[in-house]
Amino acid sequence: MPGGGHCPDCGSTELVEDSHYSQSQLVCSDCGCVVTEGVLTTTFSDEGNLREVTYSRSTGENEQVSRSQQRGLRRVRDLCRVLQLPSTFEDTAVAYYQQAYRHSGIRAARLQKKEVLVGCCVLITCRQHNWPLTMGTICTLLYADLDVFSGTYMQIVKLLGLDVPSLCLADLVKTYCSSFRLFQASPSVPAKYVEDKEKMLSRTLQLVELADETWLVTGRHPLPVITAATFLAWQSLQPSERLTCSLARFCKLANVDLPCPASSRLQELLAVLLRMAEQLAWLQVLRLDRRSVVKHIGDLLQHRHTLVRKAFRDGPAESEAGEEERPGRGQGPGQGKEEVASRSLDLPEGKRPASPALLLPPCMLKPPKRVCPPPPISTATGDEDISDSEIEQYLRTPQEVRDFQKAQAARQAATGVSNPP
Amino acid sequence: MEEEQTYLELYLDQCVAQDDLAPPRSPLLSPVVPDDVYMPNSSHPETVFNSHLEEVKETSGHFSSVDLSFLPDELTQENKDQSIIRSKHEIEDNYKTQSQQSRLSLPREQDIGLGLISNSSLSNSHSHLYPGDADSVQPSLEKPNSMPLVSITPMTPMTPVSECSGIVPQLQNIVSTVNLACKLDLKKIALHAKNAEYNPKRFAAVIMRIREPRTTALIFSSGKMVCTGAKSEEQSRLAARKYARVVQKLGFPARFLDFKIQNMVGSCDVRFAIRLEGLVLTHQQFSSYEPELFPGLIYRMVKPRIVLLIFVSGKVVLTGAKERSEIYEAFENIYPILKGFKKA
Repeated sequence: MPGGGHCPDCGSTELVEDSHYSQSQLVCSDCGCVVTEGVLTTTFSDEGNLREVTYSRSTGENEQVSRSQQRGLRRVRDLCRVLQLPSTFEDTAVAYYQQAYRHSGIRAARLQKKEVLVGCCVLITCRQHNWPLTMGTICTLLYADLDVFSGTYMQIVKLLGLDVPSLCLADLVKTYCSSFRLFQASPSVPAKYVEDKEKMLSRTLQLVELADETWLVTGRHPLPVITAATFLAWQSLQPSERLTCSLARFCKLANVDLPCPASSRLQELLAVLLRMAEQLAWLQVLRLDRRSVVKHIGDLLQHRHTLVRKAFRDGPAESEAGEEERPGRGQGPGQGKEEVASRSLDLPEGKRPASPALLLPPCMLKPPKRVCPPPPISTATGDEDISDSEIEQYLRTPQEVRDFQKAQAARQAATGVSNPP
Repeated sequence: MEEEQTYLELYLDQCVAQDDLAPPRSPLLSPVVPDDVYMPNSSHPETVFNSHLEEVKETSGHFSSVDLSFLPDELTQENKDQSIIRSKHEIEDNYKTQSQQSRLSLPREQDIGLGLISNSSLSNSHSHLYPGDADSVQPSLEKPNSMPLVSITPMTPMTPVSECSGIVPQLQNIVSTVNLACKLDLKKIALHAKNAEYNPKRFAAVIMRIREPRTTALIFSSGKMVCTGAKSEEQSRLAARKYARVVQKLGFPARFLDFKIQNMVGSCDVRFAIRLEGLVLTHQQFSSYEPELFPGLIYRMVKPRIVLLIFVSGKVVLTGAKERSEIYEAFENIYPILKGFKKA
């Protein structure tokens, strides 16, 4: 009887070597089952019977590229071509995908996740080369949910241990602004709305920098800020004709989607510009509002650094001479001096500029929704006695149990009636 | 050599005498800082201690020559060297007697101690000193040690009190598990308990709630239970016991085994705006900031192993702790980093 085998069907150890048309076979003499048909080598213990080893238990997985991996790699290349990325990006993205595929968690993931993984690899490649690609764009291209995308993205960054730099705002501005269809007259875009690309780009960049400096960008999605900045830049370049155009209409004209937060970003940016305008003498007398300040954006941007410093202050309320500063704060006296200096600089008429507003993110300027009282200091030990009455309040009386059961039965009957089998 | 040993013994006698007179002090703090400069915040000795340890750790590598100019004037020249070694031992011994923090801190302290010793010319006397003077060392160990003369903090100047944040994170949620050690009939529980909901198609556990402490429990048919929503460890334990009592009253032989706190969540406010973009640049290996996905920065601290969510408004959420001290320690670690990003 050849080496330790037994019939898989009846378990008998009576295996006989027989040959069938000159092919050697191992046959069970009890039930006649053909145990093996002459395989060349035996490597695994399963092959003690010279039976095949299943693919998942062989090393084939590591040696071959599986069909789903091949599909994924093809998708990566396609996505890179659709986005018109340089060829080096393609190779890097493919390498990331292969690297990810070596992890068993990814290999066993659902197809949806593997699809989204394609986008993640391309995104990481672009970020590392400072190519401004937003997650929104990729999700649109892949028809994927942002939630699924975000989960997979965070997982793969952690799994591969990658350093992914932040989205480069300046490059994103350039790419995004170039996508606005306003640089040539067309049936939908009247001549007065057409704008020079370079002028608009430079002004938008300045507005986005201003927004960044005044805490409007940190913690927020970058794209709506850029939309609002582009709109303001476009309006301010020819305010007389363009003030009548709203943000929504502007986006429709330019053939760009209007992101929801863009209108509130616009209001915040206008508020910042108004504060800055209050520091300029010749603008103070005009008593600007949110619409009229657009006409002066050019001037405001030209002096934006000085104006932001004068219009805003970092810390809590300070007196004019800075005498209420706490002695520990080094920047206190410095800032007090600056305030005094600004006061002496402007306004020979003796009209004081508005007292500086706090330069803080909008979430800190809004009054808190509800004041959380500090929790009372409890002296619980965790081992106190638990009274029976306290526990019994949570239990149903037998009568209540019966009522509840009746009600449940009635409900079941009702749903049974309404849905006839 | 002999001279140094005599001085050493003199000093030891002096210390022992002083211990009898000095007021009790937290042993964690006094060896590190001289009394006259620093008044420790006694309610959080661990956090202060750990923040000091950070500095100690940073400079532990720079012990090429023992520069003693930082020591206060009370120390006479000949006592300086001995006192450093002496108090190093004090610290090591003190911390061995402390239960929790020493496990975290001891390796570092010992490194520093050894570093000092190897560089000092008194390395020989050190080995004689330790076992021989065990007796004189013991009494001072029993009492909270006060070392008014010695500051071990190598090279770095004394940190004033204002460096400590003075902010205490508040615990918001505690998740704990307990084993009731009996098979449960979830249908019966849902039928007989008013505060229970059970929808087997949605989730395979009974969701039970009690009013005091205001918590929610997931009770599984295997007898395991998860209790969430408590604001302190004691409340979580009390709540879990109440749930176990409810189950008992329903007729099951419930016990209360292996109560363990699995996660603690705390939050606080540093009260200044934080430049998250800057923070992710300098601490890239720990931070993840994706404004397209989430407005906060996710900071994964390695020691202690805590995840912090840092927002632009200055609010910080700390999670992943098994003990309260980890939350406090993590906050004390992150506070100086955040202060660095206070201004644009």
